[in-house]
Amino acid sequence: MLAQTVAVVIFIAMFILIVMDKIERHHITIGCGVLTLVVVFGMIMKDGDAIIRTLNLDPIFTTHFWYSAGSSETASNGINWETIIFIAGMMIMVEGMARVGFFRWLCLKIASLVKYKTIPVFITFMIMSAVLAMFIDSITVILFLAAVTVELAKLLKFNPVPVILSEIFCANLGGSATMCGDPPNIIIGTSLGYSFFDFINNTGVIAGIGLVFTVIYFYFAFRKELREGSVVPEKKPVPRDAIKDMPGFIMSTVIFLIAVVLLVTHAETHLTVAFIGVLVSVLTLITAPKHMVYILKKVDYKTLLFFIGLFMVVGGLEETGVLVVIAEFIGKISGGNLFAICAIILWGSAVASAFVDNIPFAATMIPVIKSMSATMGIDLDMLAWTLSMGTDIGGSATPIGASANVVGTAVCAKSGHPVGWKRYCTTAVPATVIVITISMVCIFVRYI
Amino acid sequence: MENQLIISVGREFGSGGHLIAEKLSQRFGIKLYDHNFLDEIAAKHNGDIESIRKFDEAPKLRILSRTVRGYNNSPEDVVTQLQFEYMKERADAGESFVIVGRCSETVLKYHPAMISIFVLGDYDKKLERVKEKYNLSEKEAKSLMKLKDKKRKSYHNYNCDLHWGDSRLYEISINSSRLGIDETVDVLEEYINRRIGK
Repeated sequence: MLAQTVAVVIFIAMFILIVMDKIERHHITIGCGVLTLVVVFGMIMKDGDAIIRTLNLDPIFTTHFWYSAGSSETASNGINWETIIFIAGMMIMVEGMARVGFFRWLCLKIASLVKYKTIPVFITFMIMSAVLAMFIDSITVILFLAAVTVELAKLLKFNPVPVILSEIFCANLGGSATMCGDPPNIIIGTSLGYSFFDFINNTGVIAGIGLVFTVIYFYFAFRKELREGSVVPEKKPVPRDAIKDMPGFIMSTVIFLIAVVLLVTHAETHLTVAFIGVLVSVLTLITAPKHMVYILKKVDYKTLLFFIGLFMVVGGLEETGVLVVIAEFIGKISGGNLFAICAIILWGSAVASAFVDNIPFAATMIPVIKSMSATMGIDLDMLAWTLSMGTDIGGSATPIGASANVVGTAVCAKSGHPVGWKRYCTTAVPATVIVITISMVCIFVRYI
Repeated sequence: MENQLIISVGREFGSGGHLIAEKLSQRFGIKLYDHNFLDEIAAKHNGDIESIRKFDEAPKLRILSRTVRGYNNSPEDVVTQLQFEYMKERADAGESFVIVGRCSETVLKYHPAMISIFVLGDYDKKLERVKEKYNLSEKEAKSLMKLKDKKRKSYHNYNCDLHWGDSRLYEISINSSRLGIDETVDVLEEYINRRIGK
């Protein structure tokens, strides 16, 4: 009981400190993670095995971690190294692509294809945001897309805020479609052993339907604002000028395509996402030896450390049985009714993710849904897709719900267009409610 | 650059600090930066002036913002940073100006042309002034004074190491209730002339 209480106290303290935003997030999670290992496992439980299980280093040295014929489900306890290694690998690949100007080129190319007309730019950028976010982390997608949007807004004389807000929403929606799009999905996919196609066939379908409604919704919400004062410029930017290093650009594009092919086919090739992450990062570094140090320096180590610490803290809740109690509680209040269980997980995850970071929330909920599936005999897949949609889409509702929202609104503000909660939520909350409702209907119709 | 003059005026609400800043700018024939500072920032960035104004001199609420990869999405913080950057840009370009509030005494402390002033006042005199200027009842004026000073204080203390009104931040702190607005301006003008003459 004492171990459970202390694990919960550490977990709540971690959440409060993250929300207060006074100390860097990775310091908080690593600090709380170490406290969990030392105090909960070491001093209270006196269980060395729990520490080893939570650090979870052994699987990395097995073939199964890199090449997994059959189920690729990783040990649920502790640090999910497959997620960490995959994200690190993708970060290196993305930094390589950014260095050569790939993203800026792509944005300008799309804008030039629609002849730099405001409304077509708005619609194509929303779709591009969703498609790119299926394979690349949404922070990077928004970082580049928002920067080009601000540049085009100055040129075409439109307000960049509606476009960036729509791009943010679509990036989060696109990220929900695949296993590698959004961090919660990577954690769900690797923890529960799902493939790229499992996600595409389930959350991907829902996200696709959601995207159609989203584009229509944002078009009607912002069309008047965007038409005001927009002009067709005399001098237009040339996409080719965005490319800083042509051979590097070609190599980066090829590596990106390899990553896409390997991710799409990983259920057939049995290569794990950790292997794919390492492969694309090695390819990126060896094809740009002169820029190796530059690329490695650009990698966001803080996010990786944030994940490691987070997994340790959640491991504390798991080892002490707290998450089983939560699972039983959800089962109890729903009365075992599948509709109620799905609705609670979907809307509960959505509301929670709107206010707290959706990554720790998803990491905490995975053992909960596993426990619910095991004890109540509920289909785990259905719970996983419900959790995925709830956390990914719920994070879109507020400016702090997901990392892409923070980066996008920060870029907006730096360009002289600060976005407050009211401005953000006025359009994002209805869009979130629409997509979560669509998700609920799809889940009810298809799985129950 | 040699004859450059930057006057920062911090003020309590109702002390007439803004009017004093305005008169100093007229006497020295230099530009006054107050709310119009935001117009220039908006024009520079092709930004939205109404949104920028909304977050001017406002402290951020930590629980409503987050930082990701060095990007902070607090509109209050970003508007503050835009102002600080623009302030430094104008000062470093050799421009002379009077600037009202906005932590300018701390942000431009490094600049050799800088003279920082804080204008305070007696409570009853400030109350009279606020009642008259904004046509308010005593109760309304008291509550507005409390609100404005609280906002300025928390904005300043969030962005600067030393506290708002702390005499160590300013070259001269002056109570405008003692001599009235015009004579306070005379005293400040004389001080500034002596300072720039050295």
